[in-house]
Amino acid sequence: MSFEIPFGPQHPALEEPINFMLEIEEERVVSVKPRLGYVHRGIEKIAESRNYQQLVYLSERICGICSFAHALCYSQTVEELLDLEVPERAKFIRTIIAEMERIQNHYLWLGLTAKEMGFETLFMYAWRDRERIIEMLDMISGKRVNYGMSTIGGVRRDITDSMVERIEESLKHLETRAEYYTKVCTKDPSILKRTVGVGILRPREARALCAVGPTARASGIARDIRADEPYAAYGEISFRVVTYRGCDVASRMYVRIDEIKESIRIIRYALKNMPEGPIRVKAPIKVPEGEAISRVEAPRGENLHFLKSNGSIKPERWKIRPPTLANLLSLCRMLIGVNLADVPVVIAGIDPCIACAERIALVDVKTKKREVWDGKDLWRYANEWYRKRYGL
Amino acid sequence: MVSEEIWALIEIFVFPGFFFLFFLAFFTEWLDRKIVAKFQNRYGPLYVGPKGILQPIADFIKLLSKEDITPSMADKIPFSLMPILLLTLAITPLFCIPMIGSDALISFEGDLIVIMFIMSLIALLVFISGWASTNRFSSIGSIRAGLQMFAYEIPMNLAMIGPAISAGSLSVSTIVDWQIRGVWNIFIQPIGFAVLTICLMAHLQKVPFDIPEAESEIVSGWIVEFSGKKLALIRLAKDFEFVLASSLIVSLFLGGPYGPWYISPITYLAKFLLCVLMLSNLRAAFARYRIDHLLAGAWKYLTPLVLLQICLIKVLGV
Repeated sequence: MSFEIPFGPQHPALEEPINFMLEIEEERVVSVKPRLGYVHRGIEKIAESRNYQQLVYLSERICGICSFAHALCYSQTVEELLDLEVPERAKFIRTIIAEMERIQNHYLWLGLTAKEMGFETLFMYAWRDRERIIEMLDMISGKRVNYGMSTIGGVRRDITDSMVERIEESLKHLETRAEYYTKVCTKDPSILKRTVGVGILRPREARALCAVGPTARASGIARDIRADEPYAAYGEISFRVVTYRGCDVASRMYVRIDEIKESIRIIRYALKNMPEGPIRVKAPIKVPEGEAISRVEAPRGENLHFLKSNGSIKPERWKIRPPTLANLLSLCRMLIGVNLADVPVVIAGIDPCIACAERIALVDVKTKKREVWDGKDLWRYANEWYRKRYGL
Repeated sequence: MVSEEIWALIEIFVFPGFFFLFFLAFFTEWLDRKIVAKFQNRYGPLYVGPKGILQPIADFIKLLSKEDITPSMADKIPFSLMPILLLTLAITPLFCIPMIGSDALISFEGDLIVIMFIMSLIALLVFISGWASTNRFSSIGSIRAGLQMFAYEIPMNLAMIGPAISAGSLSVSTIVDWQIRGVWNIFIQPIGFAVLTICLMAHLQKVPFDIPEAESEIVSGWIVEFSGKKLALIRLAKDFEFVLASSLIVSLFLGGPYGPWYISPITYLAKFLLCVLMLSNLRAAFARYRIDHLLAGAWKYLTPLVLLQICLIKVLGV
């Protein structure tokens, strides 16, 4: 007996709307039909009516989790059109932020994957640790999700010495946690049962279907833009391109956990060897006629931006190819032959965007006094409130 | 004479009858949620009552007041009948469990068989209720529930028969009585105890074996179409099943209400809480298995293990 099951657009396993029509034969997937377009926002069309400076902010809103990767990619494209040389310090800061974003994304991914296989405890643990790196990003940029750090010609905020100390501290914590997760994910029998040999993507298929990022690297293909075509400061930092040969979900998990450790090493090196100097150069508003492409290794894989300029202050065409789109074909291949129970685990590569309400403005009704709270105040207030009320 | 009748009425309706059992069920749900939250670094229920202890009751009342939707394609009679039957069948066996002294409210030779039969019926009802919803997710969930029954049913019943063999009786009350004169069954049948715990996790559809309702895969499976009053009853029935599972472990393997010092419901409750703690702990420590993992595991390991246990009982004569 075979019947069709709609997986999404609304499904607890999916944080963003996408639809997979799964044809099931005795709990096994026979064919997959993906359907996209539930959250089409027309960003590329909007771009034609905005100027280049405004588009930095729009590019960050493409994705909540890889926001910096998109902003960086866009900035690099414009810089190439302008033939602008970015200061060394800005390059290092860009590298640090990009790697911090990778760490937070990979922790998020680990938690979500654990949730998909019904391991809520690991989900809670991974997300608690993710909070540490988000705090650091918040400290540097003032925001938890869309950092607003990259701009055309450099970055907008500097990393000071006092920040460096705090970052080192949380990196230490995150490193021990990453070690712990390696231990958990390689030893725990129930995790191994759900991930080893599930969602196989052979190296040949991965190459033919143009898989990118951790998905490709888990199939043994050492494809990483940071190493292949270094941008920002990656050319000056030596790091290992993590690959595993398992071709399954377990390998994708190990690639990501190892990448967390590698990212921590990169950030440490960059913090130590950051050159002094300005953090940005002034960029002209008008962009000369031409076309440019820039590639960035986003946490989920290769991110590609293409810009065509007609010499005015607005671009003529802006094309974005995010990594998820590149991995969709491989995903459909992986799903065939998979048990229905394993579908969420295999799909789990699709990450959600979380808009966190971080700041609130308090207005005292009687005195009309305004007071702005940031995350720390909110945190302190919440903890105190619970402690007072429930004696926790 | 009259006072005896009043006493009997109190036993049935207040303690250890309906009233007590309802509150025990809600309390168990709260405790389970709180313990799992603790393991997962969360707070768990907080708002209703001290430390959120009334949260399950609030949830129950809230669900009762919600809109009750019957899908137009559903098989109407079984669909509306199943939640009621599930709840009734989940409460009934609890009266065979001795909580105060060695005698349960209802106690006769063979009540253990009745409990087993009712537990199988519950699994069947789960299958029918999923099937009657005619939802694609419920259908898959109910098929999984049926398959799961084939996996855990036989080792579970064999593990429950172990204490009956050593006590030489099929009555839960007699088994409890036998344990106080001899030793607790957990010491002489540790394998049976372990197998029963695992199988009860599967029967309760708790995390490593929450396959029929796997939320991230098939959107809570066989329950997905139930809403309002029906969902409230199903949730309550699941709480009662949890109480029944813990009580069975206490009665068959931990010596029921008999403590090292004196017999009392308090001893019973202490052991009961220990069992809830154990089951909740197991729930927090695993990822969900797949249905084929469970079937293979149950037939390859659990059934031979429990057969070995029964052989050991016979050979060693304990």
